[in-house]
Amino acid sequence: MSEEVQRYGGSGGGVGALSLDLLGQVLDRVREPRDRKACRLVSRAFARAEAAHRRALRALRREPLQRLLRAFPALERLDLSACASLDDASLAAALSGADLAGVRRVCLARANGVGWRGLDALVASCPRLEAVDLSHCVGAGDREAAAVAAAAGLRELSLEKCLGVTDMGLAKVVVGCPKLEKLSLKWCREISDIGIDLLSKKCHELRSLDISYLKVGNESLRSISSLEKLEELATVCCSCIDDDGLELLSKGSNSLLSVDVSRSDHVTTKGLASLVDGHNFLQKLNAADCLHETGQCFLTNLAKLTDTLTVLRLDGLEVSASVLQAIGEGCSNLVEISLSKCNGVIDEGVSSLVARCSHLRAIDLTCCHLLTYNALDSIADNCKMVECLRLESCSSISKKGLEQIASCCPNLKEIDLTDCGVNDAALQHLAKCSELLILKLGLCSSISDKGLAFISSNCGKLIELDLYRCNSVTDDVLAALANGCKKIKMLNLCYCNKITDSGLGHLGSLEELTNLELRCLVRITGIGISSVVIGCKNLIKLDLKRCYSIDDAGLWALARYALNLRQLTISYCQVTGLGLCHLLGSLRCLQDVKMVHLSWVSIEGFEIALRAACGRLKKLKMLSGLKSVLSPELLQMLQACGCRIRWVNKHLVYKD
Amino acid sequence: MESGLGRSSETSLKASSSMASNTSRNTDLDQQGGHFNSMDQSCFARPSQSFPAFSPLFGVQSSSLYLPDDNEAKIGNQFEPNPSLNNPTVDWDPQVMLSNLSFLEQKIKQVKDIVQSMSSRESQVAGGSSEVQAKQQLVTADLTCIIIQLISTAGSLLPSMKNPLLSSNPAVRHLSNTLGSPMAFGSSCNQRPSSNNDATIPDITKTPDYEELMNSLNSTTQGESDELMKCQNPCGGEGSEPIPMEDHDVKESDDGGEGENLPPGSYVVLQLEKEEILAPHTHFCLICGKGFKRDANLRMHMRGHGDEYKTPAALAKPSKDSSSEPAPVTRYSCPYVGCKRNKEHRKFQPLKTILCVKNHYKRSHCDKSYTCSRCNTKKFSVIADLKTHEKHCGRDKWLCSCGTTFSRKDKLFGHVALFQGHTPALPMDDVKVTGASEQSQDSEAMNNMVGSIVYNFPGSSSDDIPNLDMKMADDTRYFSPLCIDPCFGGLDDFTRPGFDISENPFSFLPSGSCSFEQQNGDS
Repeated sequence: MSEEVQRYGGSGGGVGALSLDLLGQVLDRVREPRDRKACRLVSRAFARAEAAHRRALRALRREPLQRLLRAFPALERLDLSACASLDDASLAAALSGADLAGVRRVCLARANGVGWRGLDALVASCPRLEAVDLSHCVGAGDREAAAVAAAAGLRELSLEKCLGVTDMGLAKVVVGCPKLEKLSLKWCREISDIGIDLLSKKCHELRSLDISYLKVGNESLRSISSLEKLEELATVCCSCIDDDGLELLSKGSNSLLSVDVSRSDHVTTKGLASLVDGHNFLQKLNAADCLHETGQCFLTNLAKLTDTLTVLRLDGLEVSASVLQAIGEGCSNLVEISLSKCNGVIDEGVSSLVARCSHLRAIDLTCCHLLTYNALDSIADNCKMVECLRLESCSSISKKGLEQIASCCPNLKEIDLTDCGVNDAALQHLAKCSELLILKLGLCSSISDKGLAFISSNCGKLIELDLYRCNSVTDDVLAALANGCKKIKMLNLCYCNKITDSGLGHLGSLEELTNLELRCLVRITGIGISSVVIGCKNLIKLDLKRCYSIDDAGLWALARYALNLRQLTISYCQVTGLGLCHLLGSLRCLQDVKMVHLSWVSIEGFEIALRAACGRLKKLKMLSGLKSVLSPELLQMLQACGCRIRWVNKHLVYKD
Repeated sequence: MESGLGRSSETSLKASSSMASNTSRNTDLDQQGGHFNSMDQSCFARPSQSFPAFSPLFGVQSSSLYLPDDNEAKIGNQFEPNPSLNNPTVDWDPQVMLSNLSFLEQKIKQVKDIVQSMSSRESQVAGGSSEVQAKQQLVTADLTCIIIQLISTAGSLLPSMKNPLLSSNPAVRHLSNTLGSPMAFGSSCNQRPSSNNDATIPDITKTPDYEELMNSLNSTTQGESDELMKCQNPCGGEGSEPIPMEDHDVKESDDGGEGENLPPGSYVVLQLEKEEILAPHTHFCLICGKGFKRDANLRMHMRGHGDEYKTPAALAKPSKDSSSEPAPVTRYSCPYVGCKRNKEHRKFQPLKTILCVKNHYKRSHCDKSYTCSRCNTKKFSVIADLKTHEKHCGRDKWLCSCGTTFSRKDKLFGHVALFQGHTPALPMDDVKVTGASEQSQDSEAMNNMVGSIVYNFPGSSSDDIPNLDMKMADDTRYFSPLCIDPCFGGLDDFTRPGFDISENPFSFLPSGSCSFEQQNGDS
């Protein structure tokens, strides 16, 4: 695509002759952000078209925010979740003067610095706001909810983990936003039955509701059952809800399509049976980690959902072969099934299940230790469409089984073989799956360069590769990956301690790389790090824990090149205060730093470094010993900027 | 004459050491008796006039019919299973008896003299009413003294008569009711002021009323101090009041008379005076005068005045009579004329207990002097009310946007659910301005700390966004890639003693390699 664009851009006039509308249409078809950027850069016409047509914006820093908002008047979606050091003042300033009449969705997830003033300004300047995401703004409370409630047209709202929101804030929202269709109250632990009751009286349009981890009881389910349009309900880990509540829920309107009661301790098959009985169009049922045994009534009721049920999660359940057979017979349209950590899953059961469910695309068999080749064989025979296969800790599956899967399931996109003891031969077979996007090979210490060479030469679409503790892997693997799998975004090389700087040098050519974990690679130094960060401009997360050879030089390289770095772990590294100071002072996107056991950094070093990064940091992990020696003003200031500090209560380890 | 009378009482003091406490008390009582009779100008010769000298002893005063309860309690106390301390037979001693009798003889002689002198003058002196009055008081005091002595002497002779008398004759308990009117004992006593003891004793012992009187007198001689207290301050009566004088639940007890519909004649109505209602302390030490709110505290206090107050009986709680005799239904009237709770009111509604009287009077007829320190608007006259209010003040005010307040959240939510457009008002809505200024203070503090970082919240200037816009120009410094230099503005903090200054705080800086070193030198 980029070549094509360059050709047009080179001629200039040709592109310029096209109308902005047409160019906008063209740009809409350019998927990759980098390609769009290339278009913008080579042609003013494209830049104008982009300015007029751009719908979505994800800001990474607050400084250009104001300019960006004014440059793109047609914006509909605004993502500020990664915007470093965003606070009320900067948000209000950026919003003022910009034409945001078209903005419908705003994401402020983890924007801890934004409070009700910023939200007030946002709601005031975006009159057509329909969706707001405040998830994980742990400081947000009733005032923030009240500010959002001023957006009368709101349809979607996520208050997930807004720890300060109580019934009052919820009441503000439900009265202010009667058109609400989707609401997440996950982790808002202060909300009680009273608030949920008011919600179900006021928001009749509600289609999706998440009340996970709330301390609400059966009364809430009674209120919720009056919501006639509700399709999706999540009550994860609501320990006050039991079978009686589910029975109340089943008496409501028969509208539910998706129910998640996972980890609700007091729910049994009896309650689920009544729920399934009352809602005949259920498509998704998540009963993970709440059931211990299957009741016959549940299985018979489940069979009534044959036509609709597509997703079933029964993690942690005690299942016998006959139960799996019953599920297979009852729910033949299943697309996704999860039997993770289920006891008693054997080859015979899986075979009888997949014999009926030929539409399965995702199968989670994590920790089903008893499975062998036969199970994989029957999956391969029956489920040709399977895309996702999770087999972590299924150590009895052999290379023959994987061969069967690889040859019969060409659509396989994700496979988890962590701790399965696969070897190079198995990888050779697996390499036939050219669509593979995610491959997890953690703890498979027997695989070597040879096996991974097959993967890297055939699986060019790979996005995520996990080689955690694959000790035999050397620098050559990285060279092969850098050649074959250019799309890799996430790479885990923790404890592959044969890797050196020269291997990291190859990684520099993985331009898409965003997450890189290099934990305990004792041989790599600042040179390797600099070659990585110079090449991987998009690096967002970097883990250098226990890389004992990394020193200030590595941090200087990070400070100089890793401009998009957001999360960094440098615990146990031999860095000094100067390097830390420079790093934290320079990286403007850095928000989450774990720096435990930095024995070479003086208290003053920490103090200055933290002051340098104060406005941007959202999460810190440090030794608790520092709590008393850092100046209280600094800690106050960090808190005021929305930074949460996790103090690790350990003794400082000196490592020479 | 007055001095002579004073001397006579002095001599009586000296006459018998065993009587000392009695007489001293009698002089006390005497004054009271005089006070109560001061309005009465009629002369001593009228038989009933001598009686009031007794009445203060029992607290029988104007309309106070409070006494019955009181005495009842005492009776119960005295006939506890452990009467040995009260039993005079234990102390029976002919010597003592003899000295008592001689003292009586002497005393009667003195009184006789005074009365004779008065009767001789009576015709001549018409205007010297005060003098007559004083004499009259003295006479009554002496008579009282004589009677007490007589009774105590006689009482020690008749121990066996008490129990059967009391248990068989309920009339005993109404002694003081009857005492209020001229009757048997008092009149007989006065009719024969000079009669000898031998004649009176058999008389007296025949009447149960006398027995009752004797008991109460016995108790006074035993130094049962609060007995006398009651007499002085009959309306305080906490010790004998069945309801403990606690501050809780005052509200429900206040309206005690409201619910019940007692027919007007079926209960006794008592009315306390304003001063008694408002008296802060209702129990006084007879020796040092210190006041107490609770009888128990007084009893504890009395221990310091001598060993006789340390006996278990003196320290014991004066308990109620356990003989399950129903007390007369007693109700109370408010002294405030015109009040519905006043007995003169056409639709009089009596108050149930003394506590009700106290709370009613304070709430209805007194200033509200206790102000809630939290809201500064609510005022109360009863401190318990204030405490109750303070428990709830401000905390659970659930406010709707329409201005209606609710005491409970679910009620507010029910209201909000019912009315379209109403929303709960957040408590912070009222303090929007103060909140904003706080915020701006925060930011100021941060400015100080981070040196030149421009970090102004819109708080102080509220929604003044253009103002912010201008500030953005300055922000560039904050956004400079190496924003370390502003941080050095705060370096002064580092020299504070909390830090380990032994090593150079900037030892990690390569010497002379960068500008930090110079800045460090400056600071």
